Amino acid sequence: MTRVENVKERKPSPLSRFMPDEMAKRDGAGAERTYVGEVVESSTTELIAEARELHGGPSFGEFIRIEADLPVLGIIFNVFTHSIEPNRRPTAYGKTEEELRLEQPQIFELLRTEFQALIIGYLDGGAPVQILPPQPARIHSFVHLCTDEEVRAFTGNDDYLRRILNTSKVPTDELLIAVLRHTLRAHERSRDYLVRMGKELSRLMGDDYDRLSSVIRRVAN
Amino acid sequence: MLDLYAVKTQIDDMVVDERRVQEDFRAKLELALAEYRRWEPEWQTLATKINKSRTSWLLPGMADGLGGGVERPERPAEISIAATDGSQIFPDRHEVSSCFLINIGYILLHYGTGEKPLMSSKPTLYYREEEIFEEWGGRRMFVNRDLVGFKRSLMEFTELADLALAAKAEGHPVVALSDGTLILWNLEGKPQDFKESYLQTTLEAMDSLRDARIPVAGYISQPGSQELINALKLGLCPLEVADCDRCPWQAENQLGFNEDEIGAIQDDLWRGHGLPCSPLEGLNDAVLVSHVLSPGQRTPLYLSTSKILNEYGSHRIYYFYLDVGAEIGRVEIPEWVATDPELLELVHACMCDQADKGQGYPVALAEAHERAVVRGADRDTFYRFLRDTFVKNNIQTSISTKSFKKRYVGI
Repeated sequence: MTRVENVKERKPSPLSRFMPDEMAKRDGAGAERTYVGEVVESSTTELIAEARELHGGPSFGEFIRIEADLPVLGIIFNVFTHSIEPNRRPTAYGKTEEELRLEQPQIFELLRTEFQALIIGYLDGGAPVQILPPQPARIHSFVHLCTDEEVRAFTGNDDYLRRILNTSKVPTDELLIAVLRHTLRAHERSRDYLVRMGKELSRLMGDDYDRLSSVIRRVAN
Repeated sequence: MLDLYAVKTQIDDMVVDERRVQEDFRAKLELALAEYRRWEPEWQTLATKINKSRTSWLLPGMADGLGGGVERPERPAEISIAATDGSQIFPDRHEVSSCFLINIGYILLHYGTGEKPLMSSKPTLYYREEEIFEEWGGRRMFVNRDLVGFKRSLMEFTELADLALAAKAEGHPVVALSDGTLILWNLEGKPQDFKESYLQTTLEAMDSLRDARIPVAGYISQPGSQELINALKLGLCPLEVADCDRCPWQAENQLGFNEDEIGAIQDDLWRGHGLPCSPLEGLNDAVLVSHVLSPGQRTPLYLSTSKILNEYGSHRIYYFYLDVGAEIGRVEIPEWVATDPELLELVHACMCDQADKGQGYPVALAEAHERAVVRGADRDTFYRFLRDTFVKNNIQTSISTKSFKKRYVGI
């Protein structure tokens, strides 16, 4: 009985001939993969990845790891959703997303979520290195969310904070706060970690007391 | 290079002519509407005249009269729409290879279930000797644009049938939409074996759709057809049974006057005043029907009398005009849809719904087009790809000097 069901499951669906190759494949072996995105633009300092699911990108400030011989580590500083066709832009329908999914299902095939990450280091033989990687992440490599354990291992020291503060692309303080809220959670809001982080921050922005206190207040609450 | 200044003066002249045509047009339309109203209650008399007469133009077979609009039925909450469209890269003998490519776009949209739609395209490259040469009517010929066009339309239809059947096999209630006409009138005049082969493949696809009870409909946007106008023209003919070949007015004009007079009359004829049926010359059905229907409504069914349909067997094509709000569309359906009230209503409801969703044009067909389309830039990339691959594999090629000249024009 079980055997018959298995055979039935493996039989290709009548529609598979019409599916794009990657979709037909995804239906089979790739389904259990856990990646959140795939790199589509890559440089030494930052990358852009396409989210696997629409609206399924990681959150602002989250840590990611990119599959490679020397896995690259980054933090998300921008998530955006847009039309996949340059000459077609979304227009307002006046319907809820639920209504649109039932009655205008093609819309969701024409949108794509992408995210941008700031590269902050890499893993060498499993050990975190807080230096930019020797080679950028490769296009089409898979992006994974870092586990709490990986975040804890990487944030064993705080040199990477300088990299965030030195970047000019984003509202730096906002990114810093978002990142630290993630790391604090990964450290299970440990008091030791909070104190160490506060000290590092005061070293980095000690000349601007108002800014420092604003950051610490917003991280800790 | 286009001399825009020279074009501009010609456009100015055109506008003057166009204005005169439009004034003339309004008078014609009023006459057509009056005639339509006149025949509405006694359409059977007109239908009889249609059956008896022999005209040089195509007349509609009247099935349920002229009449007003049929209201839009409600669409079932859960329904899937299948659609295909095709595009091609024509063979170009100035290029490295005389191959050609057909790209088919597939769309399967599921409504009311939230299920992920299928939107894809599949290209097929034809390059083998037996693919780029075909033998029809005892003549071996290079596959030209015309033949590629036929091949593409045939593929659009057979692939649509396969897609709809696969959807049905997965348990989806489905309606199949085809872009353009279901009447293969352009097979007329082709070699007999070519015509038979194309017809047979099309009708087999039709058979499979009928057996699975999947309604199929062809949608024609901005139809230029004039069958209803032609029926009204016949109505204007004072003869009880018209025979255009022996039209007495035509004969009188040709024979009864001297040369000067003929010149004057022919000019008059050209303006559409010469024959009893001429006052309606130049109108089309869509214009007439747009004044009869309100949004969502369709006309009664008409049977197409196109000659090719004599070979369609049980799939003879009926049509109706549909006011989708933004325009009047023409919807063509095979006999087994036309005579099955449930399927007919389903087609009517889905067509309106599709046009609503696509801001005036069926959304599934629009998306199928988007998937299928091969743009100029794609074509250039394709040929660059082809040349590079040929070179990499040490295959001797040459492109014509004409093609070379088009790309690099020296001064």
